[in-house]
Amino acid sequence: MTLAETQALFCEAITGAAPLAADRLEACFAGTPELPAAARVAIYADMYRYRLIDALRVSFPELVRYLGDETFAALAEDYLARHPSEHHDVGQVGRHLPAFLRQHPDPERPDLADLAELEWTRQEVFFAPPAAPIGPEALAGLDAGGFARTGLRISPALQVLVQPLAAAPLWRRLEDGEPPDPPAPGPAAVAVWRTDFEVFHTSLPLDEAAALGAARAGASLADICAAFGEREEPAAAAHRALSGWLAEGWVVGTGR
Amino acid sequence: MTSTRLDLGHGIGLRTTHFAQFLAERPPVDWVEAVSENFMAPGGRPIAVLEKVRREVPVVLHGVSLAIGSVGPLDERYLASLAALVERIEPALISDHLCWGTHRGQYLHDLLPLPYTEEALAHVASRVAQVQERLGRRLLLENPSAYVAFKDSTLTEWEFLAELSRRTGCGILLDVNNVYVSARNFGFDPLEYLRGIPAEAVGYFHLAGHQDRGTYLFDSHDHAVPAPVWALYREALRRFGRVPTLVEWDDAIPPLSEVVAESRRAAAIEAEELSAPARRLAS
Repeated sequence: MTLAETQALFCEAITGAAPLAADRLEACFAGTPELPAAARVAIYADMYRYRLIDALRVSFPELVRYLGDETFAALAEDYLARHPSEHHDVGQVGRHLPAFLRQHPDPERPDLADLAELEWTRQEVFFAPPAAPIGPEALAGLDAGGFARTGLRISPALQVLVQPLAAAPLWRRLEDGEPPDPPAPGPAAVAVWRTDFEVFHTSLPLDEAAALGAARAGASLADICAAFGEREEPAAAAHRALSGWLAEGWVVGTGR
Repeated sequence: MTSTRLDLGHGIGLRTTHFAQFLAERPPVDWVEAVSENFMAPGGRPIAVLEKVRREVPVVLHGVSLAIGSVGPLDERYLASLAALVERIEPALISDHLCWGTHRGQYLHDLLPLPYTEEALAHVASRVAQVQERLGRRLLLENPSAYVAFKDSTLTEWEFLAELSRRTGCGILLDVNNVYVSARNFGFDPLEYLRGIPAEAVGYFHLAGHQDRGTYLFDSHDHAVPAPVWALYREALRRFGRVPTLVEWDDAIPPLSEVVAESRRAAAIEAEELSAPARRLAS
């Protein structure tokens, strides 16, 4: 067999849903009476499944808590059959799981896709590039015109999700070891960010999420503040939101 | 591409569970080995810790995803991430495994054995040359532990490694535990393996624990170095002299002090073995 043929057979043997016929394996692999070729190859097949399912468990701890080990492992097998790893970092293997759960929703818990998305985002934020936050003084020196025209640079370690169903309440119940409430209605926005080496998330009003999205897209402060136009006191709401962003370290610079 | 052996001393694998304690206590180890893929993300705690550790002791980068023996093209995204990490950390050495692990763009996340054939040798040699040119550094390759061999193999693993090193100048990371595990799983003589490895190519040793699963040994890295591996380590010291030595512990990881104690034990054994000829001459 060529090297290419050998690797194709080995890959099929360890990633396939069912073991290959013994004669196909014995044509390639050497065995012994104590440990035949098929049993030797099965060691690698077991390790393949174990390692990838374990990586998914690490990325989605609350989903594991909700489903239980066995159901999660079955979900993981279905997922991996459609989405084998394409990245050198095994920790990236779960990147398509939220979308997979949206395509195959659990009828009783359609919010599991949102939960997975929140967990995946927490992982992404943990490894995002660092950036030093700025304080309110960075805006204090601007005159009214300069304030309206400038923009904000948003931390790469902040992501804002707008989800069909709210995952944050379910995440909290699971994290606290409490039985989950029924799915919370949506849409709902949640901010996920890192401070030093710790990841946090918090629910956000939808207009504030839109304002953060505008800021990240390079909008002026005037346009960012306009996102609060539906509030009873838009200026006060914008001021509160901006103060909060600066206090949490979500803003890492000014300018557009 | 040749290199004289660095005199790094005795090190341990840097693991997440020991990050805080390592920085706080600065344990008595001469160097650390970091699994490259765990430190490639641009931010977060792992790379920040590694940069701090690097200011204290030399770091060796040890990869698991290069897939040097896979038939598909080398993953340029991976090589770029590795090159960036090398530039950031300035490691003393860079190593990976003599294995394959990707197929048509799919990562299998395992260190899969190769058939030891002339075709595989030529293929791996050309890939080693590519990687060494890309990184501008010598690559060291580790002998894998294995559970299956190939009917087409025409070379032993040690013949394959020795010839690969001769053709490319790559170094050998000799995992003493893996030699022992594979020797038991395939029934070869581990001392013959050691005799077949060119001394000048050996850059450093790995030591680790394994599990006895009845019909085979499993390379589990989940407990202390067992007695037969210590015995083979003594043989390796007699064959290769003073070689930097690294204790690996990747599963059921004990307190840092226990891993460090294993490393100090390796240092004590090395001192004993390397002073033995002088003692014998004196007596």
